[in-house]
Amino acid sequence: MRPAGRALALCVLLLAAGCAAQGDIQDIAPGEVPPLETDEAGLWMVMDRAEQRLRASGRVVEDPALKGYVRGVVCDLSPDYCDDIRVYIVRAAEFNASMAPNGTLHVWTGLLLRVQNEAQLAFVLGHELVHYQRRHTLKRWRTVRNTTDSLVFFNFALAGAGVGILAPLVQLAALGGVLSYSRDQEREADELGFASMSAAGYEPKEAQKLWDMLLAEREASADPDRDIFFSTHPGEKERSESLAKLAAEVDGRSYQVRREPLLAVTLPHHDGWLHDELQRRDYGRFEVMLDYLQEAGEETGLLLFYRGEMHRLRGAEDDDAKALQAYRDAIATGKAPPEAQRALGLLYWRQGRNDDARTAFEKYLVLDPAAEDRAMIEHYLRQL
Amino acid sequence: MWASARVAVGLPATRMGRVRRAFSVLVVCAVAAGCAQTKSFQTSRDFAPPQGGSRVLLMPPDIEISELTTAGLEEPNAAWTLAARSSLGVAMADVAAAHDMTLVPYRPREPEAAYDAAHLQTVMLHEAVGGAVLLHKYVEKLSLPTKKDIFDWSLGEGAAPLRSDYDADYALFTYFRESFASSGRVALIVVGAIFGVGVPGGRQVAFASLVDLRTGDIVWFNTLVTGGGDLRTVAGAGTALQSLLGELPL
Repeated sequence: MRPAGRALALCVLLLAAGCAAQGDIQDIAPGEVPPLETDEAGLWMVMDRAEQRLRASGRVVEDPALKGYVRGVVCDLSPDYCDDIRVYIVRAAEFNASMAPNGTLHVWTGLLLRVQNEAQLAFVLGHELVHYQRRHTLKRWRTVRNTTDSLVFFNFALAGAGVGILAPLVQLAALGGVLSYSRDQEREADELGFASMSAAGYEPKEAQKLWDMLLAEREASADPDRDIFFSTHPGEKERSESLAKLAAEVDGRSYQVRREPLLAVTLPHHDGWLHDELQRRDYGRFEVMLDYLQEAGEETGLLLFYRGEMHRLRGAEDDDAKALQAYRDAIATGKAPPEAQRALGLLYWRQGRNDDARTAFEKYLVLDPAAEDRAMIEHYLRQL
Repeated sequence: MWASARVAVGLPATRMGRVRRAFSVLVVCAVAAGCAQTKSFQTSRDFAPPQGGSRVLLMPPDIEISELTTAGLEEPNAAWTLAARSSLGVAMADVAAAHDMTLVPYRPREPEAAYDAAHLQTVMLHEAVGGAVLLHKYVEKLSLPTKKDIFDWSLGEGAAPLRSDYDADYALFTYFRESFASSGRVALIVVGAIFGVGVPGGRQVAFASLVDLRTGDIVWFNTLVTGGGDLRTVAGAGTALQSLLGELPL
């Protein structure tokens, strides 16, 4: 047992040394570019190439108003780093944003669909900017490198001491160390991101609101482990509580939420983004997201239509009836997309109500004479 | 951040993952053999280079030179990559002189961008098709029954934008990955030797693909895998290109 004990103590020492070496990494300065011979320049090189690929991927949303708006929020939060950050709006369902060490900031459309106001967006963007300013990727890379380096020699030492059987345990402990290091970075990004959003005058309570909303969505999900955001941003309830605590600490001056400027640039995209979310076929999560959107009060026609779509596609017990109700409610608002009539027609047809189906299909073609599926609907009408 | 960036990039990352996987299989073979290995294929369709020499568009080589950490992770090195890019450029001129061909360098209109927007899809298409060649021609377990004895991969019409913009007969795509053992890795190799454990050091892998810009066919394809070499020097780049492009059928 003694050699094993000594070996473990050595390991802890080595790992601690690995982490201690991180302390002296300074924040990146505005306009700073790492010298060519550094490991950081290597990371930038890889991310520069990834950026080229992203540009060619066809997934970047090229809407100058939307991009300019997000960029504006970034620059208000952090004017010094404004020129170093390149914002990409990436067409992808789900809530996610990511910051690469070379200054590429990815904001997913699923995130822009969910944030309820500029304050919430500012919290997320502030959080991501901290990753850049504090050089989190570089620190993590060095931690991984140092940890694995220590482990390799350590495995030899264990084998030499005749206790090689312990190697997997040590590896597990080291992996845990790297993961908790990454959680520490998220905590730091939360705290500093929060500070920068409230310093810019945004309502601090919105940070926790956003977080609770994401948690609620996750709890309703059929497959919570597939969640991209939570896989890289662990912490759960603890995080919501610490955000609430932070919000309680700020002074009582008046803060702003700014909902209209966000909606002015995102609303034109909501139809497409909701469609993206629905295609993920995670109905529990979709419903919670719709609830939050509907709570806010705008675009009820569109949201009711998507609620109907959700029920129609899920097809569980009572879903047909609920879908029917949602489509009717959507149409009653006078602002439902023409597709609501088409969906209604399909449902009626399924129920054998052919006259109602015909009326709905005809209305669809009146509302959208240039519909892509016009020939198909006319074919349906001949069959009815 | 890092990991989710990869997720966001999506398709290309997956595709490159496939290329890397195919290569890792090749590397094991080469390291076991302990010497430079090449394996080339020529199209089984009609192939007749023009009389009096060909114009070959040289696509920007895809290069990444890394340091192998003690534990065997590859840490990309920007300075080394830049050095390799320049020495490969010099050595490429010697290759051209040894063959009946004129090199036409690829020049993007905006110096910031790697490729013109009009050519990006061609480059990505080649990456996809080249990745398929690596997987299905070089990894025996994944060989396709219908392509067993033929080599007829093609970009089809996808290659046309390059032909019209550069007035070239062929385009040459190249890919290089090289790693050098860090001092820690070297120490581990020594320790490993004492314990009787073989620890792999640096390695060099590359492939080249010659595309006929009239038909889009990949007319010739070669891979190089070796445990040694140094692309950062002109001499080392020359040695690698000699192995990789010496048999170029032009």
